[in-house]
Amino acid sequence: MEKLLTIKDLKVYYPIRSGILNKVTGHIKAVDGVDLSIEPGKTYGIIGESGSGKSTIGKTIAGLEKATSGQIKYQGVDVLHSRARKKINYNKDVQMIFQDSLSSLNPKKKIKDIIAQPLKNFERLSELELKKRIKDIIEVVGLDEDSLHKYPHQFSGGQRQRIDIARAIATRPKLIIADEPVSALDLSVQAQVLNYLKKIQQEYQVAYLFISHDLGVVYHMCDTLAIMHRGRFVEVGEREDIYQDPQHIYTKRLLAAIPQVDIAKRQENKSRRQQIEEEFLKNMASGYDENGRPYPLKRLSATHLVAKKGDE
Amino acid sequence: MEKNMVAQKDDSAFQMVKREFLRDKWALTCLVLLSIVLLTIFVWSLFLDQDKVMTVDILRQYERPGVDGMLLGADQGGRDVLAMLILGAKNSIMIGLAVTVLMLVIGILFGVIAGYYGGIVDNLMMRFLDFMMTLPMLLLVIVIVSIIPHYTMMTFVLVMGAFYWVSTARLIRSKALSEARKDYISAAKTSGTSDLRIIFGELIPNLSSIIVVEAILSLTANIGIEVGLTFLGFGLPDSVPSLGTLISYAQDPDVLTAKFWVWLPASLLILFICVGISYVGNVVRRTLDARQRLG
Repeated sequence: MEKLLTIKDLKVYYPIRSGILNKVTGHIKAVDGVDLSIEPGKTYGIIGESGSGKSTIGKTIAGLEKATSGQIKYQGVDVLHSRARKKINYNKDVQMIFQDSLSSLNPKKKIKDIIAQPLKNFERLSELELKKRIKDIIEVVGLDEDSLHKYPHQFSGGQRQRIDIARAIATRPKLIIADEPVSALDLSVQAQVLNYLKKIQQEYQVAYLFISHDLGVVYHMCDTLAIMHRGRFVEVGEREDIYQDPQHIYTKRLLAAIPQVDIAKRQENKSRRQQIEEEFLKNMASGYDENGRPYPLKRLSATHLVAKKGDE
Repeated sequence: MEKNMVAQKDDSAFQMVKREFLRDKWALTCLVLLSIVLLTIFVWSLFLDQDKVMTVDILRQYERPGVDGMLLGADQGGRDVLAMLILGAKNSIMIGLAVTVLMLVIGILFGVIAGYYGGIVDNLMMRFLDFMMTLPMLLLVIVIVSIIPHYTMMTFVLVMGAFYWVSTARLIRSKALSEARKDYISAAKTSGTSDLRIIFGELIPNLSSIIVVEAILSLTANIGIEVGLTFLGFGLPDSVPSLGTLISYAQDPDVLTAKFWVWLPASLLILFICVGISYVGNVVRRTLDARQRLG
């Protein structure tokens, strides 16, 4: 199948400046050599702890952060630079859903103006067509027409997130980057929003890049997922590869951290977690080099890759 | 339907301001008196002819209040103090308003551009601002006003506007800096909106509350500065009356002690206008900041 988006050796560094001359004395390596390819209509997950660089990848793909080096190709066109992105109307096809729905909607604008924004920029529609499109879009996310004339603060968190989704799908994009789209919502609303996302995927054949720290959400949503730590992928694989057969010590530790509601086995679970943590600390060398940087990925099977030392 | 919603929204903001005024009796009194005084000044000044009022009539020099139909007496040149007071107040307020508008336009543009782009653009612009801050502005305004051969109200406004926007720019920039990092700006970028339209359509509307407060509070300051400069003799030309002109007559010890009717009304009026505006401004500021609201 033809790739929608391919990323090769993407690096995003932030300079650390210090001293009286404000010289660059080092770099924070937010993303440090990441490869990823996205096929149309599929869902990809990036999982990692805070500060692992997962949001930076998403923002770089959406064009909100500047890549230091590497390659991002969209349908064969290099889109690393903003000029190239503008030329092909890149953001018409690649949209983003943000974590905090309140701050991602302009509080001074009505919902209809918020949703109209990408449509006005990317498509030439008559006033009547525009109105119809906006109405259709708001119905897709399960809100009624009246809500178009309201302001963001008049909605609940789940509704706002659905408005955010409505804006992202307005131009019928081919890829949506969802940066922790449900982290700020409570569990029942999370399920509702995720189901809307799934429904939209079936309807529009859109690919998702799902960025999250919630392993349960990712399991529910994603076909392929990547575990990220310290700016690099430590393990990449299909859902079953990762959840049934984790190879990297960090993946094991992350999976052990999923809370389990099983009061009878509480002690057992606790000691298992502690054992995995101990193992993680003891075997750091098997997954990380002397600088604490994860090793390059090695192929285990057709779908499963893991960061390992040497050529074993 | 659409109009309905807008009305509702406006209504609630209006209701909030109203409630805040009702909680603060002082501010309410100030608002009512201020409205009456300003209305009187502007309506009355329509019926006065500046050239006629400023015509010197030596026979009426220092006429006492009440004599010859002049309620507040006459000044050194035999001119009606009350008429000068009305015209002077109108001129002072107009200048204050014009300078405020000019200052806001420059300050907002400068601050928003620095805050939105950040990084090196912000750095360069802020260093320029630091340089402007170190200039002794009052002195510079005085020098420029003395150099310009024929200055009018317009040039005076331009000169003041050119120097007094600095603190506004600094304030707007600090707010724009934090506002521009919010996700709705990112969302506008991924929606393909151009920088210019993001600045004017997204960023500035969200700074409107501090802009309103800044406008009201700096209006007082600007009226004060104009009156101060005229008092020192570097303000408006002699043919244009200002509150400062009347107050500056008090530099003569004889006028100060024996002919209080020349300078006292103007002094009280400027005091009242400034105190009144700042009370009203504080109420608006409190309304826009939920943590400071009284009720």
